[in-house]
Amino acid sequence: MSRRKLREMAAGYAFLAPTILVIGIFTLAPIVYALFLSFHKVQLLGGISYRFINFNNYIRMIDDERVWIALSNTFEYAIIVVPLQTALAILLAAVLNSKLRGRNTFRALYFLPTVTSSAVLTLIFMWIFKTDGLLNDLLGFFGIPPFNWLGDPNVALKAIMLMNIWSTAPYYMVIYLAALQDIPESLYEAAEIDGARTLRKFWSITLPLLKPVTFFVVTMGIIGTFQLFDQAYIFSNGSGGPNNSTLTVVLLIYGYAFKLLDMGYASALAVVLAAIIMLITVIQRRIFGEEKLN
Amino acid sequence: MRKKGLTILTVLLALALVIAGCGGKSDNSSSSSGSNANTSSSEGNSGSGNSGGSSGDSGGEVVEITLNGWGASPEEEQLLTETLEEFMKKYPNIKVKYEVISEQYMDVIKTRLIGGQAGDVFYLDSSEAEALFDQNVLEPLNGYITDEFDIADFEEPLLNAFKGADGNYYGFPKDMSTLVLFYNKKHFEEAGLSEPPKTWDELREYAKILTKDGRYGLGVAPELARQMFMIKAFGGEVVDAEGKAVFDSPEALQGLQLVIDQHLIDKTSVQPTEVGAGWGGEMFGQEKVSMVIEGNWAIPYLDNNFPDLEYGTAEVPTVNGKKGTMAFTVAYVMNKQSKHKQEAWKLIEFLTGKEGMKIWTSKGFALPTRKSVAAELGYDKDEYRAAIVAGSAYATPWQVGKYGPLIINNFNNQFVSAFLGEQSLEDAMKKAVETANKEIEAMQ
Repeated sequence: MSRRKLREMAAGYAFLAPTILVIGIFTLAPIVYALFLSFHKVQLLGGISYRFINFNNYIRMIDDERVWIALSNTFEYAIIVVPLQTALAILLAAVLNSKLRGRNTFRALYFLPTVTSSAVLTLIFMWIFKTDGLLNDLLGFFGIPPFNWLGDPNVALKAIMLMNIWSTAPYYMVIYLAALQDIPESLYEAAEIDGARTLRKFWSITLPLLKPVTFFVVTMGIIGTFQLFDQAYIFSNGSGGPNNSTLTVVLLIYGYAFKLLDMGYASALAVVLAAIIMLITVIQRRIFGEEKLN
Repeated sequence: MRKKGLTILTVLLALALVIAGCGGKSDNSSSSSGSNANTSSSEGNSGSGNSGGSSGDSGGEVVEITLNGWGASPEEEQLLTETLEEFMKKYPNIKVKYEVISEQYMDVIKTRLIGGQAGDVFYLDSSEAEALFDQNVLEPLNGYITDEFDIADFEEPLLNAFKGADGNYYGFPKDMSTLVLFYNKKHFEEAGLSEPPKTWDELREYAKILTKDGRYGLGVAPELARQMFMIKAFGGEVVDAEGKAVFDSPEALQGLQLVIDQHLIDKTSVQPTEVGAGWGGEMFGQEKVSMVIEGNWAIPYLDNNFPDLEYGTAEVPTVNGKKGTMAFTVAYVMNKQSKHKQEAWKLIEFLTGKEGMKIWTSKGFALPTRKSVAAELGYDKDEYRAAIVAGSAYATPWQVGKYGPLIINNFNNQFVSAFLGEQSLEDAMKKAVETANKEIEAMQ
């Protein structure tokens, strides 16, 4: 290698050094450490010690009923929330992309929930969800009997879903809005000449052209829903109750790591969660085809 | 040449950035170790058992010790500050830094203990105590106790909550509350009831009379902390000697069944979320229930938020002909890693001693654990608090073995589901016990 090339390389790495350091210390090292921990029994209080226990932490999961409950809760949550929030995001974006009066105001209004801290949102929603709260009053207006949103295991997770769809859809709406403005007007004009109506244009032009963005939105949505923590935590005060109905995988990891100080098992759970998310993303790529993201 | 200069410049710049980043950190740590060095002269004293003197031992230098606790109402914090000021007046060379951990206290304190950042003295709830005794993080206090400290003065169940299996005391209870029956006098009068129920059967009869107009007889908290005495009423136990769950025995179920039946069959009791309240005191204050079983903390709350409410307190009605209630208590314990153990003991000695406890419990936010202080402040004759003090003689301390969090979590999860009628109590408790014990085994 010539001196010049070497020098160029040195300069390049010098520029990268801060990023490499930050990512190395705060992202790569913790991942490696978590993998290391997941094969150990870790004693933390009163003298830290590690004991290698092979795959025992992973084997333990099979018999841990709460892991399966958490996984099924998380799957249920993702299956309901991701399609709904994606559909809502497309719908809002399409509406706000049309030549509506005061659409900038609406865009800002719709985006507000996303900017608000999720902890604050959850607290406000817990008021709305109270037995004698706003939501039940509203339902009562339509003759629907009230629910105990916070205390009844059958509806507690639904309450969190409702809240999350409302608060995350606008974020994806903004992404869709940007994508919508990239679709050339000429396509719509051509379709109009061929006699296409609004709905037809939406189905045949807008949706197909939004496919790469939809892939991105669904992927991020699934990652987000699988990492559900703060809402479930505040809702149940950290326990995942009532009757494990709001127990999510991340909440379970938190419980094992910080309540029971079982870092090894918690790390193993985290590794499994990461593997599941990766697997789902790969499957999704297959479904959406091999199209490149713009 | 110019190019080379540029490369060197960028490398230097990057290095400078890195160093600046690290520099900030090391600055911090050196400044904190500096403050430790300041006061390390007293370190040599730690561990020796004979105190008894009235002032600190280190000559003239001021030692700073940290006290960790959870947040409370502004009035209570004010009172604690007063107590601490009194302490610092008595021991001018000890400075106490009070640090509040406002959320998830135990999670935070455990993390800090691991990282060596916990306070010299900190609060410890009785329910979490046994789990920490085994972990070698608390300083045994037997060597520090003097005759003057008079441990016989403490209510015995409360004192024993902080005694390890090795016979060592790891902490001394700073205050306590037991559960008592709060009843709405106006509702009772309207229903033609002259006095609070004495037995659980009476309570259920009264609740039937009191349940009307969208109001319920009794407010219930379906959780282990509040229901443990029902398990014990017929001779059941929550955990065995090894800390494993055994609360699915027929005796335990018999007591708990009373709570379930009242909710599902009589339909005269509710839990807070069913009437849109956050906890028992709130639904009682809002007159959504006529009776509720709560502790001392509800009294200042009701006085502040519902000043017009006419209510009384009475001892919890007898179940199976036996008196029973829960006792909640919190101790001051010492961090084993503390660098100023002698000073830390002085603080514990003062705060749980007669003098400090009298100031701390003077306003009735918390009740004394020392018999002499309770008598001196007149709480045993107080209109609202007499029942609470009376309960401390026969109460079950809120403590469920060294796997406490596991047991509590599994019980609460399943008990709620039985309380809502989703499954029979027996199935729910069998499942909870099985899961808890499986998790305990997996932790070994």
